[in-house]
Amino acid sequence: MKTPDTAPQQVKPEDIEALIEVFQASDWDEMHLTMGEFEIFLSNDPNAAPQGAAPAPAPAPAALAASAASAAAPGAAPALAAPAPAAGGPASAGAEDVPAHWQVVSAPNLGTFYRAPKPGAANYCEVGQSVTADSELCLIEVMKLFTALRGGIAGTVRRICVADGEMVEYGQPLFYIEPA
Amino acid sequence: MPVKRLFVANRGEIALRILRSARAMGIETVLGVSAADREGAGPEAADRVVVLGPAPSAKSYLDPRLIVHAAAATGCDALHPGYGFLSEKPELARLCEEEGIAFVGPRPETIEALGDKMSARAMAIAAGVPIVPGTDHIADLDSARKAAAELGYPVVMKASAGGGGRGMFKAASEAELNASFESASRAAQAAFGDSRLYMERFVEAARHVEVQVIGDGEGGVLHFGERDCSVQRRYQKLIEEAPASAMPDALRTRLHEAAIRICAHARYRNAGTVEFLYDVARQDIYFIEVNSRIQVEHPVTEEITGIDLIACQLKVAGGDALGLTQADIRPAGHAIEVRINAEDPFADFRPSPGRITGWEPPRGPGVRLDSHARAGYLVPPFYDSMIGKLIVHGHDRAQAIDRLLQAIADFRLEGPQTTLPLAAHILDHPDFRANTFTTRWLEDRVLPDFAAERRADAP
Repeated sequence: MKTPDTAPQQVKPEDIEALIEVFQASDWDEMHLTMGEFEIFLSNDPNAAPQGAAPAPAPAPAALAASAASAAAPGAAPALAAPAPAAGGPASAGAEDVPAHWQVVSAPNLGTFYRAPKPGAANYCEVGQSVTADSELCLIEVMKLFTALRGGIAGTVRRICVADGEMVEYGQPLFYIEPA
Repeated sequence: MPVKRLFVANRGEIALRILRSARAMGIETVLGVSAADREGAGPEAADRVVVLGPAPSAKSYLDPRLIVHAAAATGCDALHPGYGFLSEKPELARLCEEEGIAFVGPRPETIEALGDKMSARAMAIAAGVPIVPGTDHIADLDSARKAAAELGYPVVMKASAGGGGRGMFKAASEAELNASFESASRAAQAAFGDSRLYMERFVEAARHVEVQVIGDGEGGVLHFGERDCSVQRRYQKLIEEAPASAMPDALRTRLHEAAIRICAHARYRNAGTVEFLYDVARQDIYFIEVNSRIQVEHPVTEEITGIDLIACQLKVAGGDALGLTQADIRPAGHAIEVRINAEDPFADFRPSPGRITGWEPPRGPGVRLDSHARAGYLVPPFYDSMIGKLIVHGHDRAQAIDRLLQAIADFRLEGPQTTLPLAAHILDHPDFRANTFTTRWLEDRVLPDFAAERRADAP
């Protein structure tokens, strides 16, 4: 079945991105695709490995995080006061220096990020704090509707990527957690 | 206040179309996209792009709260909804109003009143606009039988809340009415959450004509001439043209006057389209509905009038005067548009998403392409299959047809199957050239022949 002459040229980075998007939009647990010499394995389980393959692939969320903060700044000087775009702000520390075993918690939709349940209250979490999969980490507000976000990962909060009150976009990294 | 920063709440070719007019007017732009639309010609044309949510529309383009939150958080003072998605949902217009964002479209109350077909009919009657003889809501099959006997078969039943043909059926006899009534109610309930139907006399030989208008919201309304959109499959338009040259001038004048009357009565604000049925046998027109948005086929009107309708929309939304009187709007020549859908016309219009591997659009006098597609673009499987619109303008209808046929022949498009081969077949058909077709023509006459020819060509 192998067609090594043609298969490698057919798979472009955009194809991989599209596959990740399809996977992410689905309710599948994992996806394993082989086309000639090209092979991709996506899984929601960071410890999963494709059948018959020795090295565990990089978890899918890391790949998604890389393309999430690609918002462009307005070209002209803004005439109106506007929140800074997600990219370039001090909070958007790059994901390059993140140890491979840390897991990202990203925004489930666009909204405003709040670290505390209400103004003046203690933050849901701080860097260094240990959390369970059910721990609430922040609020995401959409038009006065506040939704608490659970990380789904037990471990230690290693990084908080967004400042309180900032707008976040879908897929933008919010927290990195080192699994327990 | 003129618009300073515009939020574009749509995708595809119309997002790009809006972004271009906004940029030409010096308006900053923010485009809200789903995760599937992060890259492409639209995002590149915007000053800023924000990712609303994942690919499925329900969690991105169809969530009004998410969209208005994004518009407010990015400092936008106006929002353009495009067409489809939330463009005719009063809730989006209302949320914009609450946030102090100018909605590029009518007031929420107007969208609501025109969106319900029964109240739109009532408005037409109040404005003295002719409608097809029909009924109010019909509660059960028994009342439907009585109403049909009074109107005379054939009749058509339609969903009060909907469009796009869902919940709609034609009955030529009582037996057909009996057979379809219950399932149509259920279809209306499933599609719109409202099972109510109403009945109209069915016009056998009908053409779909519509008038482009822009209202100032105070009762002042300009019309930009009419379009003929009679080439339809399952109530979806495939080819649109302007003007409706099959219509005699006296009737055309009545058409324009009727469109202005209903919109003036509604104190309609911004761009809209008043749709009519042109009853060819009776040489009469009947009001169908008002579409309270910019439409897919607006470019044919732009081509014959030379006026940028999106720019007009942005001016009205910003409270600027259009600087136009009716006398300034002088349609010239003939324009035709074909929709390019990523569907296989040889396989029952099966969607054909995937990567565009070759893309060399035609050029030439009078040729215009409105599209976000290009070589390497991946047509996502999540949305509408339209990847662009090819539009031509000519001195007259014959020249426009020839130019469009040439443009289609010159279009190198590889990757997905598209409806372009069917468009060429239609344009070259003697009935199309003779301009003698009706809204049933494509499905009843052309598609069976087209399929048969294809079979004959097969090896």
